This record gives sequence, C-alpha cells and structure tokens, in this order.
Amino acid sequence: MRVYPVPTLLHESDTSWFQSALKVITMHGRVKLKSTAQQEEEKRKEREKKLKIYVAARDACFSKRKEGIMDIEALQLTQQLLSSNPDFATLWNYRREILLHQETVLSEEEVQKLYEDELVFLEGCLKVNPKSYGSWHHRGWVLSRIPRPDWNRELGLCDRCLGLDDRNFHCWDYRRMVVKLSGVPVEQELQFTDRLIGSNFSNYSSWHYRSTLLPLLHPHSPEPPFPLRNARSSSPSSPQMHSHRVCEEQLLKEYELVQNAFFTDPNDQSAWFYYRWLLGRAEREEMISCVYVSREGERVIVAFSRPVNAQAVGLLLVVDGQPLQVDWRSVHPRFRHCPVWICELPPGTISDASNEHNLTVHWTERHTHRDCALYTGRSESWCRDSATDQELFRSELSVEKSSVLQSELQSCTQLLELEPQNKWCVLTIVLLMRALDPLGYEKETLAHFETLKEVDSMRSSYYSDLCSKFMIENTILKMEYAEVRVFSLSGKKLTTLCHLDQLLLVTHINLSSNKLQTLPPQFAMLQCLEVLEADDNAIETLPGLYHLPRLEEVSLRNNQISRLSDLKPLSSCPKLTRLDLRGNPVTQTANLQSELAELLPSVTDLLL
Amino acid sequence: MTNSKKKSRKDLGYHPKMGTQVKDVVLKPDAPSTLLLEKHADYIAAYGSKKDDYEYTLSEYLRMSGIYWGLTVMDLMGQLPRMNREEITAFITACQHDCGGISASIGHDPHLLYTLSAVQILSLYDDLSVIDVHKVVEYVKGLQQEDGSFAGDKWGEIDTRFSFCAVATLALLGKLDAINLDKAVEFVLSCMNFDGGFGCRPGSESHAGQIYCCTGFLSITGQLHQVSADLLGWWLCERQLPSGGLNGRPEKLPDVCYSWWVLASLKIIGRIHWIDKNKLRSFILACQDEETGGFADRPGDMVDPFHTLFGIAGLSLLGDEEIKAVNPVFCMPEDVLQRLGLHPELLS
Repeated sequence: MRVYPVPTLLHESDTSWFQSALKVITMHGRVKLKSTAQQEEEKRKEREKKLKIYVAARDACFSKRKEGIMDIEALQLTQQLLSSNPDFATLWNYRREILLHQETVLSEEEVQKLYEDELVFLEGCLKVNPKSYGSWHHRGWVLSRIPRPDWNRELGLCDRCLGLDDRNFHCWDYRRMVVKLSGVPVEQELQFTDRLIGSNFSNYSSWHYRSTLLPLLHPHSPEPPFPLRNARSSSPSSPQMHSHRVCEEQLLKEYELVQNAFFTDPNDQSAWFYYRWLLGRAEREEMISCVYVSREGERVIVAFSRPVNAQAVGLLLVVDGQPLQVDWRSVHPRFRHCPVWICELPPGTISDASNEHNLTVHWTERHTHRDCALYTGRSESWCRDSATDQELFRSELSVEKSSVLQSELQSCTQLLELEPQNKWCVLTIVLLMRALDPLGYEKETLAHFETLKEVDSMRSSYYSDLCSKFMIENTILKMEYAEVRVFSLSGKKLTTLCHLDQLLLVTHINLSSNKLQTLPPQFAMLQCLEVLEADDNAIETLPGLYHLPRLEEVSLRNNQISRLSDLKPLSSCPKLTRLDLRGNPVTQTANLQSELAELLPSVTDLLL
Repeated sequence: MTNSKKKSRKDLGYHPKMGTQVKDVVLKPDAPSTLLLEKHADYIAAYGSKKDDYEYTLSEYLRMSGIYWGLTVMDLMGQLPRMNREEITAFITACQHDCGGISASIGHDPHLLYTLSAVQILSLYDDLSVIDVHKVVEYVKGLQQEDGSFAGDKWGEIDTRFSFCAVATLALLGKLDAINLDKAVEFVLSCMNFDGGFGCRPGSESHAGQIYCCTGFLSITGQLHQVSADLLGWWLCERQLPSGGLNGRPEKLPDVCYSWWVLASLKIIGRIHWIDKNKLRSFILACQDEETGGFADRPGDMVDPFHTLFGIAGLSLLGDEEIKAVNPVFCMPEDVLQRLGLHPELLS
C-alpha cells in the first residue's frame, strides 16, 4: 500500500530537464511511502474528483479555441489550468493567440495593462514552479510584446529567483536575455557574479557566467605571442566559446579570486573547473602545419593543425608552377575529418631524382599556403612547424608572467599539505607543472598521477589516459629537441595514443611494455613508419596499421591478438617483411602459417 | 609575488568545516542488485491501461514522448509485441497536423519534441507510411532560423534540444539534406562552453541533457571532431558520485536519467571507460522497485516509464547482455538503426 505524497515543487535536485512537470508525471524526487487501505481509498476519491475538474476545464478550453473564441473568459480558464500545470504548452499557445487578438481591439494603455496582468500571473506560476520551460518562455514572449517593458522589474525578478536557487538555469538564461535586450553593461554583470561568488564560492553557474563575460570585457590581444604569425590565416576564429581567451593582466587577477575560492572550500569543484579553464590555452588556429613529399610512390602528404575535410575545403596543389588535379584521401576511410591527408601525383611528375621540384599547397578557403622544395637526389622532403616551434604543449603566458604561475604552484603545494587527499589540488598541481616546464617536472607529474588514481579510483581510467597524453607530449618534445625521427616511449603504462598527427615523420616507434589495447585508426597517420615495436601490451586490434607504405617490421610479441581477421589491416602494408606474433592467442589458430602466407605474402620473416 | 606571501590556513580563509557536503545518496545493503526484467515489462505493459488516472491525464501534454519511452524500453527488453501497435499508429496519424508537425496528443499543438518521438516510434515499427513524411520534412525545415538554430514550434522558443530533434527526425527519414546543415552546426557550436559542455542557447550553462543533445547532433551531422572530447569527457566523468550514480551538473543529486544523458554522451565521444561502470550499474539496479517493477530517479522513490527507459538503456550501454544493444545517439535499439542503414559517427 502506498500513497502519493504531494509533489514537492521546489525540490533541490536538478532533474527537471525535458519537461519540468515531469516531476508530476515522472516521479522525480518523490519518496515512496507506505499507507493504510483507508488512506489509499481517500486519496483515490480525492484524485477522482480532481480529475473531473481538470478534464472539464481542459475540454472547455479546447472547445472555446475550436470555436475561435478569443475573449477574457478564455484567458481566465487557461489561467486556472496553467497555474497547476504550466507545462501544458498548447494552453500557453492559446493564451498568446488571445493576447495577440486583444492587441488589435484594445487601446495601447489597455494592452499595457493586459500584459502587466500577464506578468503578475506569470510571477505566480514561477513561484510555484520556477523550472517550467513554458512559463519562462511565455514571460520572454510577453516582454517582446508589451508596449513599455520595465526591465528593472525583470532584473529584480531574476535577483529574487536566483536568491532562492542560484543554480536555476532557466532564470539565468532569462536574465541573459533581459541583460541583452535592455543593454545592461557587461561590467555590471561581472560585478553581479562578483557578488554571488563573494557570498558563496560554490556556485558553478556564476563561474560559468564569468567565463562568458570576461573575454568580452578583457579580450585576449589578437596578436598571438608565439612565432609563425605569417603562416596564420586571417580568417575569423572559430565560433567556439572556449577559444575566447582573456587578456593576461585580467588572467592574473582572476587567479587570485579563484585561489581564494578553493582555499575556502577545497572540495568544491566549481572553482577548480574554472581554474583549469584559466590555465588552458587558445585553440590552435587552422593552418597547414606540414607538407611532406616523397619520390617513392610520388606522394604528397599534408598535415593540418585541426581535423579538416580536405575534399571540401578547396585544397590546391601546385607543382613547379602548375596546378595539379589530385584526389585527396584521409589516412583512414573512417575519417571524413582528419588532420592528415594524402594524394598521389600523376605518374612521372617527380619520379626523376635528378630533377628539383617546388611544391605549394594552397588552402584557398583560409588564404594560407605552405611551400616545400624537393631537391635533386633527395628521396623525400618536408616543410613544417614542429611542436617545439609552436610551443604546442605549453602555457601561452609570457615568460615574465611565469613567475606568477610558479607562485600559484607554491600555493597549491601548500594547500596539498593541508589536504593531502584532495584530488582537485593534485590535478591542478600537475596542470601548473605542465604550464611551467613539462619535461622538468615529469617525475613529479608521474608520482602525482599515482596519487590521483588512488584517491579517486572511480576515475582511474581518466587519469591513466591523461597521464598517457602528457607522456606522449613530453616524448614528442624530447624527439623534437633531439631532431630525430625516432619515437620511443616504453614502460610508461600508456593506455591510449594521441597526438599521432605530430608523428607524421617518425620512422621508428617503440611502444613496448605499455597497456595499449589497440592501435587505433589514427595510427595510420604515421605515414613514414618503417619499424614498429609494440611488444608486451594488451593489443587486440590493429585498425591503424592501414596503408603504411614504408612499414617493414612489426613486432607485437605478447599481446592479445586472437583472430586472424584482426591481422587483416596489415595486408594493406606492401613492404611488410618481418612480423613477430609470438605470445599472442592467435598463434594457436590451426593452419595459421599458410593462412598468413596467403594474407600477407610480402612477409618473409614470420615469428609465431 | 614573493615567498612572503606564504599562506596559512587562517589568512586564506581556509575553514575545513565550511566545506560543501557532497550531495549524494547512500545505497542500502538490501537494495535490489539483480535486474528484474519481467517486472519491468509488466509494469510498462500495464501503464497505458490506467487511462483514467489523474496523473496519466495530467501528462497528456507529453503523451507522444511517453509512448516512445514505453515502446523503446519494451523493444530493448524484447517485449515490443506486447504493446498495442494498431492503437498507437492510429493515434500518431491522428496527431499529425496540416502543417506536417505532430502533437503530443489529440487537441494539442504540434511541436518538434513530439514530432521526433512519433518518428522514433514509427521507426521502431518500420511503419512510417502512416504519416505524411514529406510534410514532416517541410515542418522541420520551416522551423530553422536564420542563425541556424531551431524553434520548437511556431512560437519561437530556441533550444539546442530542438536542433537535436530536427536532425534526428530528418536522419530517421533519410532527409538530412533538407535543412542548412552548416548553419545548424554553427549554432550548436556557438553553445559550447568553457568546460567543453553545451547549454540551451549561446551563453547558457552546460547541462548533461543538453550535452547529450549537442553531441548527438554533432554525431548525426558528422562533426564530432569539433568537440573538445578530453575536456568534455572530464566534466562528464566528474558527474559520477560516490554512490556510483551520475548527476547532470556539478553539485546536484544523482538521478537514473543521467545514466543515459551522461553515459550516452561519453559513449559518443569515446570516453565511456572514464567512469566506474560497476558502481554505476549498482546504482541503477538499486533504483528498481522490487514490488511494482520500473525504475525511479533514486533508490526508494516512485517509479515511472521515463526513468525505466533510461535505467534500462543505461544498463545496455554498460554492456548488459540481457538487454538489446542501444544506440547512444538515437536512444533506440541498434537493430532498428541497422535496418534503417544509419550509422551515426562515434569517436574512438
């Protein structure tokens, strides 16, 4: 036996998503209670009575509307129903039809009064149900119709509503609309968030609002502080909000504010999320980061700073002054958007090693291009910005300001002494270390990741993947400083591979003794790869060993490859001669040797 | 700044006792821990028979979605034949308006939310012929605004949910090219926030439900490379609370429906392994009602079809083999999408 308790209309949870009245229908936050048979019967009768009244009112509304009646009585009828069920969208529509009709028959003063009454009614609805999409939208509509809107009253309403629940996103959105329409200065809104954050640091909505206001008020200077400006396009930046950065001066002030917040309540995630955003860097502008050309196969490979669809962006290849018609394909058929694209030149274009060639790839849409010269006697050539040139994995702050980051790091380290289990603090320390000196702090970073996996074990896979990413970034930096084409990262518990577009020129890669489960399709971006070592992982599939034209040796000892079909991608690598599969379940397959001889005829050195 | 700024607890305002308590629930040791499939099927099968119920009547304004929730969860449990197909398809036909849009129920106005639900239902039944598909396409097309966004209906409410509804409807009808896709994508991307998430409109706070809509939208339109997957994935996996349940925004209570919104988003961006699957599974199972069948938002609360679908669909994404595989973008059985030849993009 159970009774249905009265719906709690102002409950704490944030579950009123698709329709806020789901809390009436779908039982959001309603505790199931036991009751007696008598209570049950009383409830049933009461509900039966309510149902009759409701149905009668609904039918009256529907039939009036059908008859085209647009009078004040109809307004009153819908008002009764909407007061208890503000998500009955059709009734709001009917109300709007009536109000629009009344606009045509009443004087302006009367219309003003009519809409003012509507606002009073809506205020009542919002008091009862502050999370109704229908009520908020209708209020915005009324404000767009009323002859003389009172914006201060609307801002006041928002203040009161946010005073009751400072996370009500309907009200925040309504406030943003009012601010925009009434021309409230951005400074004033920023002060508003100062006030809210000052009274309660734990307010994700306010931090979010700040993230949208700060870049408007203190935009990042348009000139990027790192080199290669001339290679950049002049096109407008991408529309993404998070790429809107804040100028350095303001950034430093902002650090102070956030630090106060997380020292006050180190377990509140809002401030930490915001801080990570402040520490982030602007997104890379869209540009051609590398052009590579190979005489063998007469191939041109182009790498971009972001995934693009080269077939759609208007890419123009010019060889020795002649535009060439070529077909661009991404490194793997799974990618429509990809940072690395390949084309084959018409036979004979660059095959004669005694000729010098000059190539240019134009990205017409972005008004940018990159040249590449292939000299006599050379079999390949490239032109690019390396990860170190671009300071790809570092903070964008200028050198003199890095003392500020250093001081931030000290503060967080002190906080960690007070709160040794605080994962937010540990993660932020890792991020600060990376902003300051990713290679110098590598050892500490690894230790901190171990702590994170321990204190926040639910998200250990996240930390493993993030740590893998940072280790890959460090290894790319080391490789670039050493000016080699060898990428070696073994025994570092790698769980995932990323930044593979940065490895386009790599000829030898060693990923042995990690925790990889696959060589993903992105792996096909390693177009110069000759030797792959990936022993002692947990690799099951190899979709990324796909059309790698120079791949000769593959060592996959002690992995988890169990099916012959998982080796199929290798058949697209024409130069493969050596394959080591010892210690894989697949070696137990019957007739494996002959099956492989058929699948991979180029392999002469097979170890099973 | 110098070392003299060395901070002590006091001058930094560090008050450990002021710390916010994590909003969460505690699972009772006797909470259900096995999947009660039969009870859930019985619960849904019986739900539609309570047509004179007060609460059933109050929910008329979302009936079409209610039917979609019920049918989808029944299909995922292999129980679709228990539902009254003829009655439902006739109802949908009656809900299509001259403008092409479909309403939640008879006498209600058409809206994108219910147009999508109706098209989803008819896709489950492989019976799109009972509505005028051409008119549906025209209706959806007509709701696109100049900035690429979609209004929910002719009254102009703008929301990224409606962008999702529009492309999901058109994709199921094989008519994605009917709208200005570039503009539609541009609008959704303009709703991306500092945390990598998405809100209702440009400037709105990130919310797991909207994130599901926007990542789903970008999947259908083949634009997932525009998502900051690592940043968004971090925000999403931080939705998991010590109870194992997921919330929809920071500092909110867990709720079974976020097992869907958060989990599906993580699946779409290829980061589902960033949460603790076993703990989430325990939380979802604890939200079952052993007496009546069905799932509630949290353990011990009243059940409803909405949470029952998202509980079951969440378990499916977690790999439960008793349930059919669910598609994370459309929230429909994978076999239905296979039949339609739809393979929305997922990040790896």
